[in-house]
Amino acid sequence: MAQVSIIGGGNVGANAAFFIAEKGVTDVLLVDIQAGLSRGKMLDIMEAAPIRRYRNFLSGSDSLDDIKGSEFVVVAAGAIRSPGMRREELFTVNASLIRSLAPEIARLTPESIVVVATEPVDSLTALFTRVSGMPRARVLGLGGILDSTRLRALIARELGVSMEIVSAMVIGRHSDDMICLPRYCSIAGVPLPLLLPPEKIAALVEETRTAGDLVVELAKRSSAYYAPSAAIAELADSVHMNLNRVFSVSLILEGEYDVTDAALSLPALIGSRGAARVLTPELTPHELAILHESARKVAAAVKGDPAPASARNVGSRGATR
Amino acid sequence: MKVSVIGAGNVGAKAVYYIAEKNIADIVMVDVVNGLARSKALDFLHAAPLRGYEVRIRGTTDFAEIERSDVVVITAGIARKPGMDRMDLLKTNVGIAAQAAREIALRAPNAVVIVVTNPLDVISMVVLRETGFALRKVVGMAGVLDSTRFRWFIAEKLGVWPGDVQAMVLGGHGDEMVPLTRYTSVGGIPLDQLLDTAGIEALVKRTRTGGAEIVSLLKTGSAFYAPGASVAKMVEAVIKDERRLFPASAYLRGEYGFRDIYLGVPVVMGRNGVERVVELPLADSERKALDASAEAVRRGLAELSTVMGEKA
Repeated sequence: MAQVSIIGGGNVGANAAFFIAEKGVTDVLLVDIQAGLSRGKMLDIMEAAPIRRYRNFLSGSDSLDDIKGSEFVVVAAGAIRSPGMRREELFTVNASLIRSLAPEIARLTPESIVVVATEPVDSLTALFTRVSGMPRARVLGLGGILDSTRLRALIARELGVSMEIVSAMVIGRHSDDMICLPRYCSIAGVPLPLLLPPEKIAALVEETRTAGDLVVELAKRSSAYYAPSAAIAELADSVHMNLNRVFSVSLILEGEYDVTDAALSLPALIGSRGAARVLTPELTPHELAILHESARKVAAAVKGDPAPASARNVGSRGATR
Repeated sequence: MKVSVIGAGNVGAKAVYYIAEKNIADIVMVDVVNGLARSKALDFLHAAPLRGYEVRIRGTTDFAEIERSDVVVITAGIARKPGMDRMDLLKTNVGIAAQAAREIALRAPNAVVIVVTNPLDVISMVVLRETGFALRKVVGMAGVLDSTRFRWFIAEKLGVWPGDVQAMVLGGHGDEMVPLTRYTSVGGIPLDQLLDTAGIEALVKRTRTGGAEIVSLLKTGSAFYAPGASVAKMVEAVIKDERRLFPASAYLRGEYGFRDIYLGVPVVMGRNGVERVVELPLADSERKALDASAEAVRRGLAELSTVMGEKA
């Protein structure tokens, strides 16, 4: 039994397995319905093991049942964007996938931490939480961590400093209305607004907002996958080693900023129990207004689906419906 | 230091990625398909804060950007489809490699060139001729990949850590590979003390068809993780002048009794490319297998002559 299971053997899923091997976190099982695909990709990675000195074993399967007992499950299956498409347009097609996967994952791995990487991340994280009946702390969407990483890379590039000393904070929806928080971005502890003029910061924020779109537009037949899969590996590491690292992840809000029933990214401590604690940095009225509007959009997308777990009997957790 | 990789397909991009993680050189990735190299370079940039590399990575369609590279890797070419013989790729890939070689000669005249495009041993010859570079400056990547596969299969079979398995292979890539099981060891212990002949033979057979096994599993596409890692290992040896002993496709001038041919042999890789070819004593069966492998390369070179007319 692998402790990490990844569902979906496309670029994001396979590369997440790759990065988990590179980090030496734990064994990984990659599951894809296309027979052979995940086995082929994992074999390819293992054939690099003598050179890369991997300490974990990666395997592939075409049966979802094999994820049984995993502590960390990544949902990386589903359709990806083509150029010009907005993430939200994938909701209908990918929501039906989540509706069928969520109860199965809850049944096979009732104690797991689930990371949803399928787009649109926030509404599908909300949907997964509702349909699975799992607590919100254990269903995390790959949103803000990816946007934050991109902003971090762009700040480092702009200032000509090492990426290692830059931290960046992006919260909200993983879409056009993501909320970049420059005053919570720092370079070796120095707030970004002290080092760059507002117009330069605005340009970096805009570049971050459209970063995913640009990759899709240039690549034409694929979307970004290195940065997303590297982010998945960071989360897997933080959960497996119970590091309680602070990452901006999407999860159902339960009163934070007066939002309920919608999933949005907020900074949270990620450890073996998932999002052990959600942080709520002070926001300006303008930022709050965007956050609330984003919450309305996410809530609207999933309003037809079952109520969140907190509103139902605890006993229904993990039930197949 | 500067490394350029020509071809931003799966193998090229993955090689760029592995080289980036070594933090040893800035990297330029060139692909004729508009946007492809740039999209991957952007994705690499976005992942950099998480992965810790600080080198600059550029994606472009413009060969001018390979200027003054210390190492150039040629991965461009069409990939092998299920059931396709390597020689079928010859025509298309010769054209692509020849163009790349001319650009390299013009813009990066001091570079060490590592050829990945298949059929490897033949394309290496094309690149040598088109660049006009010193013999040691053009080398083909195949043996590192064949040996890492062989090492993994041994590690998996014996249940040992893959980093503790060493293996040496000779000859052409894939079907024509000659594994030297006497020079293959686990923690220094020769393989034949740990596995019986039939067991070793099964692993050798699997290694020979290792590339095809991945192709048949993936259905669309071929291996790129292990090939990319193999390329990066060779690039690192050159950039850092490591003088590592690798099996690689080198131009032979009498070593192992062959002349004017690229064939997989043990070489010492360093700043100048192939610093020297290492000649190992061979058993009769190994000698025979290497002869057959060289014969296959010669057939490829004959086909090359047909493709390129009197030039070859």
